[in-house]
Amino acid sequence: MTISRRGFVGGLVAGAGALSTSSAEAGTIEHFEGYPGRYGLLHDTTLCVGCRSCEVACAEVNAQPKPSQSIGDQSVFTTVRRTTDTAFTVVNRYQEADDDKPPVYRKLQCMHCNEPCCAAVCLVHAFTKTPEGPILYDPEVCIGCRYCIMACPYYALAYDYDNPIDPQVLRCTMCYPRIKEGLNPGCADACPVGAITYGRREDLIEVARERIRKFPDRYINHVFGEHEFGGTSWLMLSGIPFSELDLNEGVTHESLPAIGTSYLSVVPLIVTIYPGLLAAFYAFTRRKDKLAKQELDTALGEAREQAQEEMKAGLQKAAEKAKKEREKAVETAVGKALAEQQKEGSS
Amino acid sequence: MSEATLRDERGGIFTPFNLVTGVILLGGAIILTIRFTTGLASTTNLSNTNPWGLWIGFDVMAGVALAAGGFVISSAVFLFGMKEYSPVVRPALLTGFLGYALVVLGLLADLGRPWRLPFPFIKQAGPTSPLFEVSLCVALYLTVLLIETTPAVFEWLGLKWWRRLVGQLTIVLTIFGLILSTMHQSTLGAMYMVTPTKLHPLWYSPHIPVQFFISAVAAGISMIIIEGLFSHRAFHHQVQISNEQFRGINFGLAKGGAVVLATYIAVKVVALSLENEWRLLGTSWGMWYLVEIMGFVVVPCILFAVAYRERRLGLARVAAALTVIGVVLNRFNVTFIAFNWKVPHEMRYAPAWTEIWVTVSLITLAVVVFRWAANRMPIMYEHPEFPAMH
Amino acid sequence: MFYTLVDFLTHTEGVTYILIGVFLLVFLSFWRYLTEREKNEKPG
Repeated sequence: MTISRRGFVGGLVAGAGALSTSSAEAGTIEHFEGYPGRYGLLHDTTLCVGCRSCEVACAEVNAQPKPSQSIGDQSVFTTVRRTTDTAFTVVNRYQEADDDKPPVYRKLQCMHCNEPCCAAVCLVHAFTKTPEGPILYDPEVCIGCRYCIMACPYYALAYDYDNPIDPQVLRCTMCYPRIKEGLNPGCADACPVGAITYGRREDLIEVARERIRKFPDRYINHVFGEHEFGGTSWLMLSGIPFSELDLNEGVTHESLPAIGTSYLSVVPLIVTIYPGLLAAFYAFTRRKDKLAKQELDTALGEAREQAQEEMKAGLQKAAEKAKKEREKAVETAVGKALAEQQKEGSS
Repeated sequence: MSEATLRDERGGIFTPFNLVTGVILLGGAIILTIRFTTGLASTTNLSNTNPWGLWIGFDVMAGVALAAGGFVISSAVFLFGMKEYSPVVRPALLTGFLGYALVVLGLLADLGRPWRLPFPFIKQAGPTSPLFEVSLCVALYLTVLLIETTPAVFEWLGLKWWRRLVGQLTIVLTIFGLILSTMHQSTLGAMYMVTPTKLHPLWYSPHIPVQFFISAVAAGISMIIIEGLFSHRAFHHQVQISNEQFRGINFGLAKGGAVVLATYIAVKVVALSLENEWRLLGTSWGMWYLVEIMGFVVVPCILFAVAYRERRLGLARVAAALTVIGVVLNRFNVTFIAFNWKVPHEMRYAPAWTEIWVTVSLITLAVVVFRWAANRMPIMYEHPEFPAMH
Repeated sequence: MFYTLVDFLTHTEGVTYILIGVFLLVFLSFWRYLTEREKNEKPG
């Protein structure tokens, strides 16, 4: 489980099946295919006319206020918008109409990734990938750390910053309640030109490939969302390069959870290796201190002995010197006494 | 002793220090009241595109790095036997504890529902999240630091039995603290591994956890030097070590700082080389990257080395200041400057003055508490009845 | 069985966290068992 390196800056072109479709995620040796038969949506941007009926329908289904700019109001396209806490989907214009080229629009919303980054980074596990495909969010456990919003590569999530009591993360839910009832998502039903198709993801990929086969001049030869960052539930077709639609082209097939959690395999290693290692360091330090102390004690002992020897030798010398001087003094005194005796005897 | 107490010689409470800190703290309290009664929008520039701003960038990211001195010094003294640094262990641990308390307070201000802070442990866990690991480690480490600061408290209160008890825990706490610190310092960086398209490639790297850890060690060492600069003067009457000893400690830290920064430079170069990012250095972002690396990593590395070799304390302090600025700058870059680098200019983030004020308030609070503790407890000196541990 | 990587990792990483927590406590006891008699040694 090593940390893999991937070149992603303008690197690989992940199209035309150039790369193998099965990738071993960095987090594990196993490969996960996801729930079989799960649903998805196909967004054909070459068909989108920017009517924004999907925005209106989405607002209705989710009980949010209708978009302030009405359908047909072209001024809304002068800026590139993003989803908000009340607008779970928006349509942007990425290319203006030209003499020979029609304008290009794209609908933005949560992509309901196969391996959701938001779910992987949530520290209370508030996100769940359902077997049907949509990702659900549980506001009952959310603490509002907003890591999910920070991490989402599609900038799909929004937060309720004006709410001090119970703020939530807000996003497209892929109309999960409707799907469970067998209905289509609101946007798919509302689209008048068939730019949004709802169905099983594996079927939609076939539909998309078929369209590319039939109209090779109309489409870029790539189904966006099939493999990018592990694949998404929303698939896209485009007539212009996906990077011009603000979509990250050339990103790895490895899912963001795999990339983002690959490091976490190191954490248990630190916990299991450090105790023994650091206890060893501590033991080495104590041993070094003990040996140093022993050396010091030995050196002190030797120094003390040496000092004692020197003192003894010095004392001995002094004693001998004193003895000699005493003897000499005695000799001198005896000699003197004898000499005096002689003097007295002769007189 | 009079200049070090709350009241001045005339017993007045309105010292310049108290007035300034009081105004700052009062302002912070007012702003936070507004934040908690009307929501984050009123007091921050946070948005859906920029969900994390100054309170995460500084209070959490930089705050944790700057509080790293605690584990660095306690490991050096208690695990690796570098007893000459014993005099700075307690100030470093106190700084560490207050730093981590500041992190938690900043987090409580930033979370959408701060009262739910314990949820990952008591309600539902998300173990795949790097943030789960960070919050677990920070919670545990804050506890470790708290216990590690209690010896001084017990000595102050004369509680001999308690003091002996926590003294016996020193080695275990130090080892546990080093484990926890290694993990969460690295994992704070690992939180960004999931954003390869949002963080500029010069800052994004699979090695970002290692880079965060090493720079945290450098920041911790530098903060001890800086904290020593102020404490040595403010608490001069308490200090028992000789000037020579104090200088010796600082030069030892400078030497450590030089080596750690040199290691950090090498690790950063390796990251550039492995992703073949040399040409990016020629871009305007590359220039900004070089400002951070050259000005606030390479320069202080050289200054630390010269300061140690030539025994120039002032130079070591300059190097320490530059290192701290460099680590803060790096965390800012990763959190909101080089993060979202492709986002259109009008949607970029800059902190609101209210965010800055709250951050400054938290720092002020830490300084006030440090001063209060050091004035009363044996932080800057050894209590005569309690000989040094180990 | 696990259908997604995130579900798999949620389970495995959760279990691993608990295991390493237990390891820390066990190691502490293990170390104490190892070094207990050192206290009876004569002071060097």
